[in-house]
Amino acid sequence: MKRPIGTRTEVLEDNDTAIIVKNLYKSFNLPTEQSFGLKQAIFNRLRGIKGYKEQKVLKGLNFEIKKGEFVGIVGRNGSGKSTLLKILAGIYYPKKGEIIVNGTLVPFIELGVGFNPELTGRENVYMNGALLGFSNEEMNKMYDDIWEFAELKDFQDQKLKNYSSGMQVRLAFSIAIRAKGDILLLDEVLAVGDAAFQQKCNDYFRSLHDKKQTVILVTHSMDSVREFCTRAILLEDGKILLDGEPDKVASAYNKMLGISQDK
Amino acid sequence: MKIPRVLNKKNRILLKELTKTDFKLRYQGSVLGYLWALLRPLMMFAILYIVFSKLLKIGNDIPHYPVYLLCGTTLWSFFTECTSQGIQSIIVRGDLLRKISFPKYIVVVSSQLTAVINLLINLAVVIVFALINGVTPSWTWFLIIPAILELYLFSLGIAFLLGSINVKYRDITSIWDVIVQALFYAVPIIYPISMVASTSTLAAKIILLNPIAQAIQDVRYNLITTETITTWNYIFNPSVIVPLVIVSVVLVFGAITFRRKSKFFAEEV
Repeated sequence: MKRPIGTRTEVLEDNDTAIIVKNLYKSFNLPTEQSFGLKQAIFNRLRGIKGYKEQKVLKGLNFEIKKGEFVGIVGRNGSGKSTLLKILAGIYYPKKGEIIVNGTLVPFIELGVGFNPELTGRENVYMNGALLGFSNEEMNKMYDDIWEFAELKDFQDQKLKNYSSGMQVRLAFSIAIRAKGDILLLDEVLAVGDAAFQQKCNDYFRSLHDKKQTVILVTHSMDSVREFCTRAILLEDGKILLDGEPDKVASAYNKMLGISQDK
Repeated sequence: MKIPRVLNKKNRILLKELTKTDFKLRYQGSVLGYLWALLRPLMMFAILYIVFSKLLKIGNDIPHYPVYLLCGTTLWSFFTECTSQGIQSIIVRGDLLRKISFPKYIVVVSSQLTAVINLLINLAVVIVFALINGVTPSWTWFLIIPAILELYLFSLGIAFLLGSINVKYRDITSIWDVIVQALFYAVPIIYPISMVASTSTLAAKIILLNPIAQAIQDVRYNLITTETITTWNYIFNPSVIVPLVIVSVVLVFGAITFRRKSKFFAEEV
């Protein structure tokens, strides 16, 4: 089974472009009925059934992101936002098209990736740090700050399974904000935690905005789009519907949801 | 095409942390903890020794037979641990593959490094037993390194190949369990190869063309007694290179398959 694939290249060039996306397509081969397992695969081949259905998710995206832009990506559930982010992060391969990433890229698809409930908070911090590309020495240096910021100092040597979910998120967030890269990819990290935590998130985003950090943020919150983004892209059914001023995109998004609710 | 540096700093850190985590989790919650890395193979050895050496009276003609047996079971455990952990690793770490982007082989190698650590601990035990048993230390002991490396590369190749198929067809795990069971009897671990050779030289030769058998016999030859039959001192025709060819083919084919399929692990796992 040969599947044609697009390209994703990482470069380090001294110009003002952060990401270029050209003619990007992505589809998933979703298994139909019961096509898992060897037996079914052999049956399907004998009967000439493909055993999967092609689900087209992204249908020809073109855009370019400059350094220092804070880009919000919005759209309905299933419009392809998260898939786009995962392709930019290099987790999924594009089906067709070209992506050029200029600079180091740090993705947060989820907070606390690699967290293991059976390990202590301390061990999880080092593990999570390694996934973000920090060495042991770098982690040692920022170790106390992480716990200070998470306000969980007394729990460092407890197993993670004894943390509440809110505590886990606070710890994960506290590690995540230390990550340094030219480009940050954030997927809905705002959507968790209580009001105090939301406040911390907002402060973090504001600091990114003020530092002119290049950020791509997938979100459902039009307030965040209006407040932090310098530009927004509205996705619908795998295509770009609108690309431009955050205000305009936010209104268009709200209008679109209004229409879809009337149906 | 630019060849990426396989073991850059970021990948090294990741490999180290993943291995550490694997090793910690393995013995998590057990009273004896890491001691199990040592106790398990020793107990397995004790059972085999009582059944085969004492009850069935096999191997009494081989000098230092208990150590000879322990050496075989140690290497066999290493091989089975390496392959089954490696094959499972992509699924076990599926969560990670879906969330961050990193070279996928790190997952396979880190899962096997636990087995490598276990092997080193157990080899130390084998050496202690050998000394107690009256084996004289010799420079040839260092010659076990290439044989162990070969065994590792073979299991790495198998893990790459079967592990990448296992992502889509989970049947591989069950099939491999059966194959391992069959291989256990096809390799001279519990029985000495001389026993086979005395009834059929052809059968003994075929057994020795298996890379696992060849590597284990090489280690025994260099570590314990030169009275060991090895592939090299038993087969005198060009087919003697078969074990090395098998290892190379499996490794190269496995690596190519893994490389091709790993692009889609994140979607399929």
